[in-house]
Amino acid sequence: MKKVYLFILFIIALLAGCNKIEFSPIDHHHSFVASVNILQPSITFYDASKKLIAKWELDKAYTGAELIGQDQIILYGHQLDEAKIFQLSTGRQVGYIETGIGTTNAYYDKEEKLLFLTNSERNSVISYDSQFEELKELKLRNYPMSMASNNGSLYVVNYKDTILSVIDIATLTVKDEWTIDKSSNGVLILPEMNQLWIGGHGEGSKPNQTIDVLDLETGKVINQLQASIMPIGFSRNENTIYVTNHGSNELCAFTVQGELLWKTEVGANPFVVTTFQDELVVAGYDDHTIYYLSGQSIQKSIETEKGPFQLLVREV
Amino acid sequence: MKKLSTKIWGIITLFLVLTILFMYVLTDYLYEQLYVEDTQTSLIEVGEKLRTQYQGGKVTDDFIAEVENFNAYSNFDVFAVRNPRELSACVPFEIDYDALIGPEERQQLLQGESVTNIGYEQRFERQIISVILPLTDQNRLEGILYMYYPLAKISELANQEALFLICCAILFSCVLGFFVYKGIRHIMQPLNELQHAVEQMSDGDYKARVPVSTKDEIGKLSEAFNEMAAAIEHEDEAQKNFLATVSHELRTPISYVKGYSEAISQNFIGEKEKQEAMKVIAREANRMEQLTNELLELARTSNEQQIELYPIVLAETVREVIHLLNSKATNKKIHITTMLEEQIIVLGNEEKLKQIVINVIENAIHYSNEGSNVSILTKITKGNAVLEIADTGIGIPANDLPHITERFYRVNKARSRADGGSGLGLAIVEKLVKMHKGNLTITSEVGIGTTVCVTIPLMEE
Repeated sequence: MKKVYLFILFIIALLAGCNKIEFSPIDHHHSFVASVNILQPSITFYDASKKLIAKWELDKAYTGAELIGQDQIILYGHQLDEAKIFQLSTGRQVGYIETGIGTTNAYYDKEEKLLFLTNSERNSVISYDSQFEELKELKLRNYPMSMASNNGSLYVVNYKDTILSVIDIATLTVKDEWTIDKSSNGVLILPEMNQLWIGGHGEGSKPNQTIDVLDLETGKVINQLQASIMPIGFSRNENTIYVTNHGSNELCAFTVQGELLWKTEVGANPFVVTTFQDELVVAGYDDHTIYYLSGQSIQKSIETEKGPFQLLVREV
Repeated sequence: MKKLSTKIWGIITLFLVLTILFMYVLTDYLYEQLYVEDTQTSLIEVGEKLRTQYQGGKVTDDFIAEVENFNAYSNFDVFAVRNPRELSACVPFEIDYDALIGPEERQQLLQGESVTNIGYEQRFERQIISVILPLTDQNRLEGILYMYYPLAKISELANQEALFLICCAILFSCVLGFFVYKGIRHIMQPLNELQHAVEQMSDGDYKARVPVSTKDEIGKLSEAFNEMAAAIEHEDEAQKNFLATVSHELRTPISYVKGYSEAISQNFIGEKEKQEAMKVIAREANRMEQLTNELLELARTSNEQQIELYPIVLAETVREVIHLLNSKATNKKIHITTMLEEQIIVLGNEEKLKQIVINVIENAIHYSNEGSNVSILTKITKGNAVLEIADTGIGIPANDLPHITERFYRVNKARSRADGGSGLGLAIVEKLVKMHKGNLTITSEVGIGTTVCVTIPLMEE
C-alpha cells in the first residue's frame, strides 16, 4: 500500500515539475554577470571570479531578460505571447504574464518596485506590480523600446519614431514628449548633471555617430557628443560614462561632463556594456565573447553562447 | 467518336509542345549550369585576389579607392562596403533600411564564407549574380567586397523578348500543327477511301474499288480489299449466272412438256404423233430429273465440308463404274480399255469416288465419236494414286479449258440439246476431288481428245 502512495506522490511531483520548468539555481550570495544570448536562446551566469556558474538553455525564442529585485528574472520574446518569471535561487518559474506578441523591452524600477513592458504591436507601455498583475497600459508612439527612470518619471524611447515619451509613473500618463532622432536606442540619465544621454543606430543608410545630451527638465538638446559609429549601449560608474559603438566595435569612455576620455576596440559588434565590481564587461554579439576590461585594457575574454545581446548584473 | 487522324494529330501536337517545353527547360538548365556557374567562379576568383589587398583592421579609404579603381577597368561591378548599416550590424534590432546583406548572410560572412546570390536585386533594379566576400578581422565583419554581374545577357533579353518568344513558339507550333494535320490527312486519305468503298460494298455495290497509290501497309490493305471485292463481285456474278442458267435449263424442258401435253389434251396431233410427243415428254422429264438430281448433288457437296474417308480399292471402284456404263458405251460403239493396278488402295468415300469416276467416264463417252476408244489407267505417282481417263473425242478449246469446271459452263455456248450435258458434271467432280484432298487436271486438244487426271492420296500404311 505504501508503495502505491509513493508512486502517486511521484506522479504528482512529476506533473508539478512539468508545469514549472526548472533551471540550475543560483545562490543568493553569488554576485554575477548574466549574458542573455539570443541567437541560440540561453542565459549564462558568471560569478565574480568570471567562472560560469550556470547555463540556462531556453526552449523558446526569448529576445530579452530583466532582473526583478535580487532574486527574480523575467524572460520575454518579441514573437512570444507570454513572459515568464523565474526565481534565481530555485530555478523555478514563479509567475507569468500574458503579454501578447510584440514585447520589445522590460524595465524594473527599483525605487517604485514596478515592472514596465513595452510592446511594439500595441505601441504601449504596461506597468505591473510585484505580483505581476497588470496595473495600467499607456499608448505611446511608434515602437516604444528603450527605457530609463528617474525621480518618478519614466523615459521611453520610441524606436521607429522621433519622439521620446516622458511618463509620470504614479499616474502612468504622458507628461511630455521630446524630439529625438529616429532609430534612437540606449538612454542614460545623469541626475547630478540633470541630463539624459541618448544614443542610436542612425537613420536610413547613414550610421549615427553622436550621443545627444538632453536637458532632463526641458528635453532640449544641450550638447552633442562625438562618439564612434552607432553608440547604443550605456553604463556608468561614479565618474565615467561608458558607451559601446557597435558599428565600429569600439568602447568610449566619457566624463560626466561629456568629455571623451578614451576609446578602444573591443569585441565584434558589441551591443552592450556594463560595470561589474571594478571592471567593465562588454559582450560581442558577433564573436559570442564576453570581455572584461580594466580601463582600456582587456583583462579576460570568455567565449559564451551564440548571440550575447544583454548583460544583467547582480551585486550582493 | 474522334477520328483516328485527329487522335494522331493530337498526339503529335502534344509531343511537339512537350518538346518545346523540354527544350526551354534544358536551355534554362544549361544557361544556369554553364553561364551562371562560370560567371560565379570568375567573380569569386577576382574577389579573392582583391581581398588580398585588405590588410586587416578597419577598412581604409585607400582600400575603397583601390577597389573603385579596379572597378573602372573590370568587367564586373565591384565595390567595398564598410557601412555597418549596409551590413545588417543592427540586427536583432529592427532596421528601417533595406541593407545590402541580410542577417543570415551576415552570419555566413562572419564564418568567413562567401555569399552567392542569383536573382533580382532591388538596389540595382535588375537580375544579377552577386558574390559577397567578407573582410573580417578578429571575428569582426569590418566590411565586404560586393561583386555582381548583370544577368542581362540572356535573361533580360529573354524578359524583354518573352512575348516575342512565346508568340514565336505558338506560331511555330501552329505552323507545324498545320503541316502535321495536312501530312496525316495525306496518309489517311487511302484509309478514308477504303472506308468509303467498304460502305459502298455493304450497300451492294460490288464494283467499288480503291486506287492503290502506295506500297505501305495501307497500300497492301487496299490491294487486299480490291482482291476481296473482285472475288465477291465474281461470286455474285456467278450466283446470278447460276440462277439464270438454272431457270433457263428448267424452262426448256418445261416448255416441251407444256406444249406437247396441251397439244395432246386438245387433240391437235394425231395418234401416231401422239406416241412421239409422249416420248419427248418422257425424255424432257428425265432431263429435268437429272438436272435437279445434279443440282441437289452440287448443293450437297457445297454444304458438306468433310466426308468420311476409308480405304478403298481403286481398281474395284473403276470396274464397277465401267460395268454400270457399259451399255452407254456399247450404244455408241465405244471401246473401253483399262490398265488398272490392283494394289492401289486410296483413302476415299465409296459413293463419292464412284460419282467422280461415273461423271468423268460419262463425259468421255459423251464427247467421243462413235467407234472410238476410251482408255482408263490407274497408277501411283509421288505417293498419290492417279486415275487417268483419256478419250479421242472432240476435245476442248484452250480458251475454255480454265472454265471447264465452272457450273453450267459449256464449251458449246448454243446449249444444244444434242450434246446433252447439264454443265454441272465437272463442277461436281472438282468439288468431290477436293473433298478427297485430291487434285483434278484436265488436258485437251481440239479434234484429238481429252485426258482427265484425278489424283487422290493413297492410304497411309
